[in-house]
Amino acid sequence: MAPEEIIAAVSAGLPPQVRCEPDHRGVMLRVPPGHWLAALAFARERLDCDFFDWLTAVDEADDGFSVVVHVYSLAGRHHVLLATALPRPSPRLPTATGIYRGAAWHERETHEMFGIGFDGHPHLAPLLLPDGFEGHPLRKDFVLAARAAKEWPGVKEPGGRGVPRARRPGPPHVPRGWGP
Amino acid sequence: MAAVDLPLPGVAGGPGTGPGPGVITVDAGGGCSLRVFDAGLACCGVEVAAALRRGGALAAATAGHRLNVFVVAGTVTDKLAPYVLKAFQDTPRPRRVLSFGACANSGGPYWDSYCVTKGVDQFIPVDAYVPGCPPRPEALLAGLALVLRAGE
Amino acid sequence: MTSGTSAADGLPARSRGVIALLEENCTVCMLCARECPDWCIYIESHQEPVPGAEYGGGDPARAPAGRGRQRVRNVLDRFAIDFSLCMYCGICVEACPYDALFWSPEFSYAETDIAALTHEQGRLREWMWTVPPPPQHEEGAPPPGEARGQVP
Repeated sequence: MAPEEIIAAVSAGLPPQVRCEPDHRGVMLRVPPGHWLAALAFARERLDCDFFDWLTAVDEADDGFSVVVHVYSLAGRHHVLLATALPRPSPRLPTATGIYRGAAWHERETHEMFGIGFDGHPHLAPLLLPDGFEGHPLRKDFVLAARAAKEWPGVKEPGGRGVPRARRPGPPHVPRGWGP
Repeated sequence: MAAVDLPLPGVAGGPGTGPGPGVITVDAGGGCSLRVFDAGLACCGVEVAAALRRGGALAAATAGHRLNVFVVAGTVTDKLAPYVLKAFQDTPRPRRVLSFGACANSGGPYWDSYCVTKGVDQFIPVDAYVPGCPPRPEALLAGLALVLRAGE
Repeated sequence: MTSGTSAADGLPARSRGVIALLEENCTVCMLCARECPDWCIYIESHQEPVPGAEYGGGDPARAPAGRGRQRVRNVLDRFAIDFSLCMYCGICVEACPYDALFWSPEFSYAETDIAALTHEQGRLREWMWTVPPPPQHEEGAPPPGEARGQVP
């Protein structure tokens, strides 16, 4: 299906709150959380997207989180991206496993990495992180403690000159205030 | 197309069910055996595989030794660490441990990750470290020669 | 260590085995240590006055009081690369503006003690004797900037 046909089908078959626009590879659907399952079911049944590629999240800082899904149609050879925006304080979304069973592990990983809840998921246990791991590592405010604990070799100045602490170059990606 | 009812994916095997995925046992000939724990990453795995295919060189490097060498190649994550430990404990004595590549030596390029063990020597005793990212197959053979010599 | 048969014979040009330091070229600009993604280059230095570069040429009559200062230079106290962390990306070699770091194809330097994988200045200089001359340009490659008149 060509992108224009997909856009026409979406505007005919889904509520107007779901915006559909072409992107570099196919189309991108921007879906409000309330219409998430309807959009996924539409992609599966009406847009023929039977191949589930991945589900992940993006930490948009003040704009919360967006959960993105990539599906593909083997017969129609078109890509569809679905994205929804969730508020930062308690991000929750219904599980996609009812429509795409392959989303199970992707949602487990997204849950442990970003802290996004997926209601109705059969087994939302951590997948890749060890037991007892605290925090959600892929959030932007998660600091890599190893970088804060080791002294950056580049903090020394050429010739061992003294430089006021305020002007000293800091190690990359360690927030001010953290450090050995 | 309606949703197909597939079982949810699970993990076959698990600890205590034999060598398990990732541990390759190689009989180098002449009484020396290598147990290679290939921790998932392809880079060191490819180099180890290239070294293991050189059967003649491997036999020459290990001739005259009756040892079990436990080779750890690839990045060991905190989640995988208990299985590496179990595979090490399952290696019969006399045994030596060879750490292959920067990730197994010290965490390597992923030293600052939230989930990578900074070196397999954090929980098992290592007899020799082969530096490289990834090391050449010849470096594995040289590292083997070192670990076998060190055992004497 | 002069040239002869080495473990690294027969390897492709520009093979990345180990990094060598030519201390004479190093001005301790710290770019390699700051750019290294693994934080595995450790540099310590101090400043020393350059003999003969006093203001006015050392003649008090020609050096007005209170103006100018003694020229100083940076002197390396320690330059170490931790090869247990190094991922052989080459960012340090590329970042060095003074061509003090070189690639050498030697790969056989496994150790039984991980601390011995941190090579200090003396050992990094030893590696310099194994650095091959730069390879010829490939056929069909564009001519270097000097030939095109772009570099004075």
